[in-house]
Amino acid sequence: MKKNFEKIFSLVLACVLILASVLIAVVYFNFISKKIFEDSTAHLEEIYGQVNSTFSTFVERNWNLLSDWGDRIAIVGDDDYTASFMAYEQGRWGFSEFYFVASDGSYIMPDGKRGALEEDCVPTGGEPVMASGTTSDGEEVTVFSVPVGENEFRGFRYSAVAAGYNNADMAASLKVDAFAGKAKCFVIRSDGSVLLSTQVGGSVFGNFLSYLRACGLEEETLASLSDDWENGRRGLIRCDVLGESSCILYLPIGYRDYFILSSVPMSAVSAGFLSVQQITMDVLVIIFLMVSASIIVLLVMRGRRLSRKNRLELRHRERMFDVLSNSVDDIFIMIDSEKFTVDYLSPNIERLLGIGCAEAKKNIRVLEKCAVNYNVIFPKEELDAIPINGNKYWECEYMHQTTGERRWYRMTIYNTSIGDVRKYVVVMSDRTLEQQMNQKLQEALNAAKSANEAKSNFLSNMSHDIRTPMNAIVGFSVLLEKDADNAEKVREYTRKITASSQHLLSLINDVLDMSKIESGKTSLNVEKFSLPQLFEELNIIIMPQAKAKEQTFTLRVKGAPPEEVIGDKLRVNQILINLLSNAVKYTQNGGKIDFTVCELPDTQPQFSKLRFQVSDNGIGMSEEFQKQVFAPFSREINSVTNKIQGTGLGMAITKNLVDLMGGIITVESKLGEGSTFTVELSFALPEKEEEDMWFRHRVSRMLVADDDIDVCRTIAEMMKDTGVDVEYTTDGRRAVEMTVEADRRGEDFNVILLDWKMPDMDGVETARAIRERVGHHVPILVLTSYDWSEIEDEARQAGINAFMPKPFFTSTFWQVIKPLFLGQADQVHTAKDVPPEIMNGLLFLVAEDNELNAEILTEMLKMEGAECDVAQNGQIAVEMFEASEPHHYDMILMDVQMPVMNGYDATKRIRASSHPDAAEIPIVAMTANTFAEDVRHAFDAGMNGHLAKPIDMAAVRELVGKLTKRTDGGADA
Amino acid sequence: MTSAAKRLTAFAFALVFVLAAFAACVPGGEKGDVLTLMGKKSDMEKSYMKRIFDLYEEKTGNRLEVIEIEDAEYEAEAEKRFKDGRGPDIFMHFNNADLGRFDVSENFMYLNGESWVGELTDSARAYCLDGDGNLLGLPFWESSVSGCYYNKTLLDSLGLKPASTQAEFDTLCRALADIGKTPICWAGNGCSWMYQFALDPVFADDPTLLAKLNSGEISYADIPEVKAMTEWISNAAELGWFGDDYLKIGWSEISDVIGSGDAVMTFIWDTWFYTDFAAGKYTVDDFALMPVFMNTVDGGTYEGGNLNMMMVNKNGGHIKTALEFLEFCATAENYNAAFDGISTVSCFVGQTTNIQSHMVTNASASIEAKERVSTAASKIMGYSADDVCAAFDSLFRKKIDVDGCVKLLDENRLRAAGK
Repeated sequence: MKKNFEKIFSLVLACVLILASVLIAVVYFNFISKKIFEDSTAHLEEIYGQVNSTFSTFVERNWNLLSDWGDRIAIVGDDDYTASFMAYEQGRWGFSEFYFVASDGSYIMPDGKRGALEEDCVPTGGEPVMASGTTSDGEEVTVFSVPVGENEFRGFRYSAVAAGYNNADMAASLKVDAFAGKAKCFVIRSDGSVLLSTQVGGSVFGNFLSYLRACGLEEETLASLSDDWENGRRGLIRCDVLGESSCILYLPIGYRDYFILSSVPMSAVSAGFLSVQQITMDVLVIIFLMVSASIIVLLVMRGRRLSRKNRLELRHRERMFDVLSNSVDDIFIMIDSEKFTVDYLSPNIERLLGIGCAEAKKNIRVLEKCAVNYNVIFPKEELDAIPINGNKYWECEYMHQTTGERRWYRMTIYNTSIGDVRKYVVVMSDRTLEQQMNQKLQEALNAAKSANEAKSNFLSNMSHDIRTPMNAIVGFSVLLEKDADNAEKVREYTRKITASSQHLLSLINDVLDMSKIESGKTSLNVEKFSLPQLFEELNIIIMPQAKAKEQTFTLRVKGAPPEEVIGDKLRVNQILINLLSNAVKYTQNGGKIDFTVCELPDTQPQFSKLRFQVSDNGIGMSEEFQKQVFAPFSREINSVTNKIQGTGLGMAITKNLVDLMGGIITVESKLGEGSTFTVELSFALPEKEEEDMWFRHRVSRMLVADDDIDVCRTIAEMMKDTGVDVEYTTDGRRAVEMTVEADRRGEDFNVILLDWKMPDMDGVETARAIRERVGHHVPILVLTSYDWSEIEDEARQAGINAFMPKPFFTSTFWQVIKPLFLGQADQVHTAKDVPPEIMNGLLFLVAEDNELNAEILTEMLKMEGAECDVAQNGQIAVEMFEASEPHHYDMILMDVQMPVMNGYDATKRIRASSHPDAAEIPIVAMTANTFAEDVRHAFDAGMNGHLAKPIDMAAVRELVGKLTKRTDGGADA
Repeated sequence: MTSAAKRLTAFAFALVFVLAAFAACVPGGEKGDVLTLMGKKSDMEKSYMKRIFDLYEEKTGNRLEVIEIEDAEYEAEAEKRFKDGRGPDIFMHFNNADLGRFDVSENFMYLNGESWVGELTDSARAYCLDGDGNLLGLPFWESSVSGCYYNKTLLDSLGLKPASTQAEFDTLCRALADIGKTPICWAGNGCSWMYQFALDPVFADDPTLLAKLNSGEISYADIPEVKAMTEWISNAAELGWFGDDYLKIGWSEISDVIGSGDAVMTFIWDTWFYTDFAAGKYTVDDFALMPVFMNTVDGGTYEGGNLNMMMVNKNGGHIKTALEFLEFCATAENYNAAFDGISTVSCFVGQTTNIQSHMVTNASASIEAKERVSTAASKIMGYSADDVCAAFDSLFRKKIDVDGCVKLLDENRLRAAGK
């Protein structure tokens, strides 16, 4: 209010000042103009007063001359003299003609020429005359005449003498150089008729009064002029002549009704004065302009300063708003309601919705592109319907244009009015977190429901699955007691109880495994392991199962995968066994199971991506079941699967383990036709060791004979890096020929690798033929995926030096042929060859708090020929060890979870004790937990191995063979 | 009859025949002579021509065989006849450039010593002279005076008077323009005569210029008055002295403009007021005559009429009779009878029966002093009214400047003259 008042006051003040300035200027210039006019007209009057005086003098002089000449002529009375005299005077005074004039106007000139003057030119009443006349040649002249006494010239009676003066000469006497030559001067009579004009060609002016009328002079003014002239009054009028302000001055000559009339444009009259006025005015204008310019400049500078300040402030605010908006996920828009153009748009729109800020500013409707649930996000009708200062909001879902991310916004549109300008302020409040939280809550709710259902299902399943073997165990235990005397039945019952127990154990293991994985407590035990060894172990496990169902199990390696990788071998093994076991389990007798391994291209040089594919032609899965095949406790229910035991957790565990390793698992299956499970896992590669043993042992050429050409090519590919030249054939006979040919050329193969089962001529026969043709100097190996024990003797007799399991790996190959080149061919064996009597005579210290378990273990050790001392907890075990004689115990079997002191601590105490065997005595953990971290904890505590409960004596034997360096019973005892 | 008598009789017959033949061969004005007179068909249809022919035949008993040739074919046919020796006794032609087609000195008699020469007005006589001052024929034609005809009534009401000098004329035009009057009705649309009015004094006053121009010794550009005239016309147009629509004004519009008083003056001839002028607000009585001023001569000029001359074929068979015919025509009684009631400026000093306009009569002193024979259009070889109009039209439309206009006038002239 106060500001408005100040503005109005300033405006009024400025107007008053300007008006006052203009008023003063007008008064001043009026005064000056009036003064200038007065001075100018006085100047004009003065000048033409002098002109008038000069002209009057001229007239008087002419009359006087004429009077003198008349007198003289009369006195002389000699016509000839008169003629010569007047000729002389004409030359002296410049008149055109001289006349002796009779009273009737007729005249005679000195040369005798006669004529007649106009009536006006004849003096009457004794007064001299000045009038317009015409010469004898028709030239217009001004005639001066004076009466003289009656006289005679050449017989002509005259009463007056007259002289005609050229009008141009006359006009010259009236000409005034002042007023820039713009002054027109006339000698006129009272009726306006023009006698003389100073203007060049001015003779065309006949009547000045008429001309002024034609020029548009008002009748009143003309009447006034006429009146003045009629009455012989001098005067000066200022009037517009032909649109130009002029000053007309008229002065009576004093003879008859003749006037000197001057018409001068005011601009010429006041030129001098006006120039002063103009200069004054110019100076004032310049001062005024300078002052105005200064004020304007100051105002503009102030305005620009304010504007700059405002702009800066605005930019700061905008910047601050940009920063603020960038730091939040809300979007702010200001839209002009009329043009629907964007006045402001927070820059975070690009980050949040993937729409360029500039693009959106051009057309805000571009937002509609990413609106999910609206086609039109700014419906004009609805916007226009929002009352001033009102608002409207709705929820809208958007999809990020580049990332596809979904975001939810509450769009609130405020209809604001600033001045008369209406704007829509749009606030897009981010509701994504809220929405996501709601979704998560919903999902959590669903999950909880699902978990609850799963739990119910689990309990139901577990109830059934646990009760089933337990029922068998309990039932057969009862029967065992009843038929204890019947040895055959006892063996049958015991076998069934054992089978049920194994199933129950695997069920429990799976449940625990699953529980552990789902709780996120599973970690991977990553270490270098050998793929060939892994495949060998798989082969050992799966081959018997497949063989039992007369299924064909083929393990195939494509390309040249690395032989050693870094990963969790145990878990990889678990994954693959699960898949392969299922394949065996769900494939009918005589079916086919293929296990293919190949390396996929990987962009990371230090990694190898392997694809494991297990295919079978078994019962397959329905499409519905394929969707939940990896869900826990999911088992397809049909007539076949109902007869197959399973927990329904295997594939869930497999899937979780693959996920844990960052791999993927997929399944393709068709009901009744079989299934294919594909697992892709990435493994880190160990640093390569330099392998120049092939060269060092002079192995440069080898022959491969396998009816499967792919196998031949794979071997050749895998051997490429070793520098060994591989020749291959798919036919045994051809292999013999190639060997003979090589021998004949003296380029023997360094080693020959033969497939066992080839058509026409198998590996054994081929080997025999080779030995017969070329002798025994070339090592021959048989490549087989079968158990070669049954043909081993025959093979060795045929000349085969060693066996090699499929698939082919260079490392395995080297391990097999290395002894041959070193002369140790017969010393090849594996850990599975540990003899059963290896534990005979060993003394174990068993730390087990569970008496039943301790008793079982004691009995089982006794069955192996070993003895044991039992400690009820870790503390006792430590004390017993410390109290024992050196080398008293061969091994300590340490339960982990025990009262008083657990197994880890006890081990640490043992390792830390001063007993001579403290550092070397093998300590093996016994735990129900078979997870990698449990194994790691065991090793960390100083243990040497790990056994899972229930204890498998085969595993114990293997550990003994490994840890005690015994190869046969009692060797070290 | 004796042989001597026969011989005498034969001699007498032979003598009679010889005398008869001799008598027939002697030129003379014997009654019953037949004179041939050739003229354009349209010219021969003029009433005063028919009157004088009839009068001659009636009074002399001689017969005039008038050979009327179509206007368009006249020059070529006449030239052909003279070349073939079939020229008429009396040949009618204007004293213009086309007369050059005929070998004047070889074909026509100079009439300087004829008794009727004093009967001619100065301007009529001057018109009929060749470049050497020889009188080529008897002017027997209606005549007029071309000049600046002005509305005297209007001019008087405006307090203005006619001009007697170029300066006065310019002042007059300026004064009229100042008060909103169009000073001059300038027929800029195809009317060419104004230009020749101004050029007449240039060539009439200095016949050597004409000879040099026609011989190609000089061009228009070498004659200051030509450029002066062109500049004046250009300036007058610029200053509005011709009004705003002067380029639209043609022959048929002049009457309205002048009669209504929209323009005060125009450059025309006196007989126009009796043949083509339709009185409007002003009648012919309101007009007066002053000289034409176009900056070529300070005192202004009038152009005398173009007169058809009766020329005597010096190779004709009836020279004496032909000369007698001319004398007959130059007799006051006869020409007054012929021109009785005809509106024309007098060609003969004793001409009294013709009607001469008050405008010419009132300006007779001025006319006598300032009239020039029509020279430019008739004597300049290659002078084409259309070409002159075209050149000035380009100037008015500012396609060319003054120098360009003079150059174009020259180019057009030379082209038309076949140079």
